[in-house]
This record gives sequence, structure tokens and C-alpha cells, in this order.
Amino acid sequence: MIKFATDEWAKALMEKINESEAYAQAAKTWEGDFYFIIEADDKIPEPIYIYADLWHGKCREAFATTDPSAKEPIFRMSGPVRNWRRVIEKQLDPLQAILTRQFTLKGDMVKVMRAVKAAQELVNCTTLVPTEFPE
Amino acid sequence: MDGYLGKILNVDLTNGEIAEVTLNPDYARMFIGGSGLAARYIYDLADADTDPLGPENPLVFMTGPLVGTRAPSCGRYVICARSPQTNLWGESNVGGFLGPHLRFAGYDGMIVRGQASQPVYLLVRDGEAELREASHLWGMDCYQTQETIKEDLGDPSVRVACIGPGGERLVKYASVIAGKGRAAGRSGMGAVMGSKRLKAVACRGTGSVPLADRDAFDEIARETLAWVKDDVSTQVFNQTGTAGSANLCSMLGNMPNKYFTQGTFDAVDNISGSTMAETILVGTSGCFGCVVQCGREVEITEGPYQLERTDGPEYETVGALGSMLLIDDLAAVCYMSHLCNRYGLDTMSTGVTLGLAHYLYEEGVIESEDLGGLALGWGDPEPAIKLIEMIANREGLGDLLAEGTLAVARHYGTEEMAAQVQGLEVAMHDPRASSGVALSYLTSPRGACHNKSDAYLLDIGRTMEDIGIGLVDRFEEEGKAALMVRHQNWRSAGDALIACMIVNFPVDGLVEMLGAATGWDIALDSLLRAGERILNLKRVLNLRWGLKTEDEKLPGMLLKPLEEGGTGGYVPDVERLLTDYYEVRKWDRKSGKPTLEKLRELDLADVAEELY
Repeated sequence: MIKFATDEWAKALMEKINESEAYAQAAKTWEGDFYFIIEADDKIPEPIYIYADLWHGKCREAFATTDPSAKEPIFRMSGPVRNWRRVIEKQLDPLQAILTRQFTLKGDMVKVMRAVKAAQELVNCTTLVPTEFPE
Repeated sequence: MDGYLGKILNVDLTNGEIAEVTLNPDYARMFIGGSGLAARYIYDLADADTDPLGPENPLVFMTGPLVGTRAPSCGRYVICARSPQTNLWGESNVGGFLGPHLRFAGYDGMIVRGQASQPVYLLVRDGEAELREASHLWGMDCYQTQETIKEDLGDPSVRVACIGPGGERLVKYASVIAGKGRAAGRSGMGAVMGSKRLKAVACRGTGSVPLADRDAFDEIARETLAWVKDDVSTQVFNQTGTAGSANLCSMLGNMPNKYFTQGTFDAVDNISGSTMAETILVGTSGCFGCVVQCGREVEITEGPYQLERTDGPEYETVGALGSMLLIDDLAAVCYMSHLCNRYGLDTMSTGVTLGLAHYLYEEGVIESEDLGGLALGWGDPEPAIKLIEMIANREGLGDLLAEGTLAVARHYGTEEMAAQVQGLEVAMHDPRASSGVALSYLTSPRGACHNKSDAYLLDIGRTMEDIGIGLVDRFEEEGKAALMVRHQNWRSAGDALIACMIVNFPVDGLVEMLGAATGWDIALDSLLRAGERILNLKRVLNLRWGLKTEDEKLPGMLLKPLEEGGTGGYVPDVERLLTDYYEVRKWDRKSGKPTLEKLRELDLADVAEELY
């Protein structure tokens, strides 16, 4: 098991993304990097930023950081750890989570709205990482 | 009378008389405004024999208590009458600026009856109203008409809503166009205007709306605005227009393809709001007091479908004129949309009717010689464009197509292939993708309407915890009726205020703004009750006009599962959904009547006398 929101977890996710044919197909035109932000709470003392550089169906770089200035990604998706867990365990659809304000998403909606299949496949990739969440 | 101007204009086109009447305060309290208030007035004025295209059909333009205020995204008005398309309740609400200006001119609404001997338009300016000769406008398209009226008046700021050739020729799904691309499209209100020889309505006002507690109102409006601005759907619709949802709707099987006979459309992104934003979008536009700015302004400088900067299509239109016909050329879809707006045709009913024509052509029922030599082909815009012109001009087979999908299907003996409910063409949300959408189509007062409950937004995750709507399963039928009743009641109340449907308002914000505007001690429960009252009143009107429960059905074509795509082969169990719905509504399943108990509970005892 890999602890959620660690650098090891980010690298494992990158590996799963790059192994996924379904993601490669769905995201073949996608160009844009992300911060997936895990907000601070009683289990997470400070926000954690999972950086993922997603490009044409592959992940070119991924790491975890607590320094928001490490990168300037064009998308930022943010939510508490409990909601990330529900998404990764496929109990919560990420789009539903955004629409219901369980996550916030900032960035170019023009790109996002044509990437709904890619988003689904990305979530599928996260489910393949054996994840240990903070209890 | 805080929240209201307190006056309605009564216009008799037959004798040219215009009178101001006092708004009935009891009606305002019970039915609030918008299509609720309009329904109450029409209930009093129309009878069972009212001909939708006869002079006796009252045509009502109505605003609501939040229109023309600082309430964000509430600058709308509604046009209501008995529909020539369905012979039942007709209404179409529209944005732009005319509604607020009608209020600024001193009126909450207008009731137009009679028929002018010559074409006229109605001009309303700051407490004065007059009918003006409009023979020179007759025959002009909607954009020419608006420009000419502005030039004639020497007032570029006057707000105009008008009909085009479609309305003049009584195309059953003729729209009323306000500004560029703002359409009161559904249920044929343009044809009602045409039947009265009312070419346009023009308004300009400089007044303001009286509010019970302006400071409190402004504060709530500010908070509501901040909430709306921060909502992700505002950001999406601002950047991509409503057509930005095309990819998502297509993936879910919600967006129909090839006249509802195909589950997927690989080229959907070519006509999406995202592609529009990246290619031909040159600006955005919005209605009075709206931060969403979902309106698209496009410019096409190359190819066969060139357009100078003008209105671009929204989601329903890219579905109806795009995926419905398998057309993936965005420029062509824009051109067709623009043509519909100029002619004053509802893009949705037009697209569905074109879809049926294509289907019947493919089946060999309609032949090229029936179409004056046109050869229809899925994905081919050229003949579709010609058909739009033929419909607007009632030329050749266009005369039949102008009667709508149900009439066309009946003509060829293929009624089960008519994608409509109660005569209104199905919107761009396939009922096989959602039990909620199916139920909404089956029970909406105006037929297959996507606005009386926009269940498709609930399906993708919009929740309304305040009214008991959490995350829904789009295919689930258990308990869906109760959920839809709550949602319809809420939407019915929103249509009375009048609040824009696509905006994700905080529920308490709307309730509190209504209270601060009117001074009423009103809570969410009483607003929902008003919404329910309005829906019950429209139901009684529809029963007066011949509604039969056996007509509350989906056509056979929409009960056939799609093997591929996002519907997952789902077909709604219509009988189950309706039985549950009637039970929740306390309506009699056989007769369709609201029970006496329900009508009394809703303070509609006087209305009950018609039924009991």
C-alpha cells in the first residue's frame, strides 16, 4: 500500500496513467498540467499539491509538494481528503463533486468540458494505485 | 404594491383600444408572476373553445417580481397563450432586456387580445402605450424588423421582441425573437402573434421597481451574485456557452443523434461549445443583470457558411441542428441557427421536424420529388438549409413540415416515429438517458419540455439539498416521482419570479430576495407551494383544453432501447413513473384531474368548481 498524497503515490499514479491504453485514447489531445490539491484538515496539517503534467494521453511528470509555487499549472482541482478518497474509491463522480462544490476546479473550462471521458479514465487510473488513506 | 408596478396593460387589437388595469394583488400573492400569473389571467379569459390562432386567444407577456431588480440573472419575461402547436398550455420564457424595460416603463405585464386589421406593433414607453402601423415591417425577418423599429423611433436603445416570416405564416413552432439570438422559442407563441397581426412589441422605460426593503434586498442580491459567480456552472457556461455541455451530454446518451436512432456521435466535439470557443467565438453576451453571459457571438469568415458577427447557437440548437441530423460542421450549424432566428422559428422543433423528414426520406416514405428535387442526407447541411427556408415560407413540403413533427408523422401514418409528447417536439435530452427527463416530458404542462424540470442537470450531479434533492441515479425509477414533483414545483416557482433556469442559484437567496422585494413573510415552503399551485392551475387549464391521460406517453421510437452509447439500453417504464407521479401529485390517474382535496389544499377552491 502506498500512502495517499505522497511523492511515491504521485509517481505510482504516473505509472498507472502511462500504462493505461484507455486513458491514452481518451486523452490523446489533452494538453494541460494540474495541481490536485488536498486541503488541510485535522489529518493533513498543510495543503498537499500533487502535480501532474498530462500531455497527449501520457503523464510526463508527477510529484507531491507542499510548496504551491513549485509549478504554475493551468488547472487546480481542490478538495478535502475525505472527498478525494470517495472519488478514488469510485463512490463519488468527480464531475458531480465539482458541480456540488465538494471540489473546486479552476482553469480553462473550454478544455475541461471536452475532456469528460479522459477525466473518467484518469479516475480509473487512480483506483489502480494501492492507496492507504490517513485514518 | 412592493415588488410590482401594480399595472397590467390590456390591449385589444381588434378595436385598437389600450387600457391600464390594476394588477390583482391576490393573484400576485398566489401566483407571484411569470407564467404563474399569466396562467391565472388566461384561466379567467380563455374557455374550452378558444382557438389558439383566433382573436380570442389571450396572449400574455408577463414579468415577475424580481425582474428589473438587482437580483442576478432574473431579467426575463414569459409569453403565454393557448398553444397552436399542442392546443394546450403554451409558454416560452426568454431573456434579453425587454422584460426589465416593460417594468421600467411601468407595467408588470400585457394582455393582448383581438386581431388587428393590418399589421401593427405595440410600443410601450414610460407609462404610455400605443399601437403603430407595421405594414412596412411585415415580411421582414426578425433582425431587420428590430433594426427598422429602432430606426423609425430614432431610439437604438428601445428593446424589441418580434416575429419573422415564420410567425407571419403561422408556422406552428414559430418563435418570438428578442435581440439577437434570444428566443421565446417553444410552443408557437410566434404563430399566436402572427395570427393577431402583431409584428412586434417594443419597450423602453426609465423607471425602477419598488422594493419593500431596498437595503436588505441589495445585500441579499450581492450575496447571491457572489455565490453565482463562484459556481462552476457559471464559469463553464461563460467560457463555453451551454453548448459546452455537448461532449458530456453525448457521452451520457443524453444528446440525441440521427433522429434518436443512434446512440453515439463520434464527431460531437466538432460542434461543441469548446470547439466554438476555440474557433469562431468573437464575443459573449448576456441578459439584463446576468454575470453568466452564456450568449455566444460568432463570426465565420471562410467557407460556404460565412456570417458577420452574430448570434451563435446554444446547446439545444447544436443538438437539434447538429447531432440530430449528424451534421458536424459547426459553421453550418451556426448558419442554420442564425437562419431560424432570422425567420423566427424554434430551432428545437425545427431540428426535430427536419430529423423526421430525413428519417422518412431514408425510409423511402418521402421522395426527392416531394421535396422539389432535394436529396436529403444525414450530415449534409445544404438540403437542411433549404428545408428551413421552405418551412419559413411554407413552400412545397415545407407547408406540411411547418405543422410540426406530430402532424408530419400523422400525414404519413407513422405516429410512433414522431419524437414529441403532446405535440411538442422532444428537447435535446433523450428520455432513455434519464427517468427524470422521461417523467418531465410526460407531465410538463406544455409537452416534451426540458425546462419544467431540468432533470438532466440533476443527473450529472447538481444537487438542491434545500428542497430535498441530493445526488440522483439517472436510471433509477424508485422514488423518482417524488423527487421530480419537488423539482417541478421549484422550477415552477422560479418561472414565476422569473429566474434563469441555467443559473445555479442558492435557494435561500431567491426566497429572501422575493421577501425583501415584496415585503411578504415568505419561506421556502410557501414558495414551493406557489409553484405547485401554478402547476395545478395549468393542469386544470389543460384539462379544459382537452388533455387526456392516454396522451401522456412517449412515442414508440423512444421506447426502443439504443444498443450503444450512454443510455446503457435503458427504456423508461412510463406506466410505473406516471402511476407514482399521480399518486404523489394527488391527481386522479384516469381522468388526470387534481383531486378536490389537493385543489382546496392549494387554495384553488374557485378553480375546483370547474372540475367538481
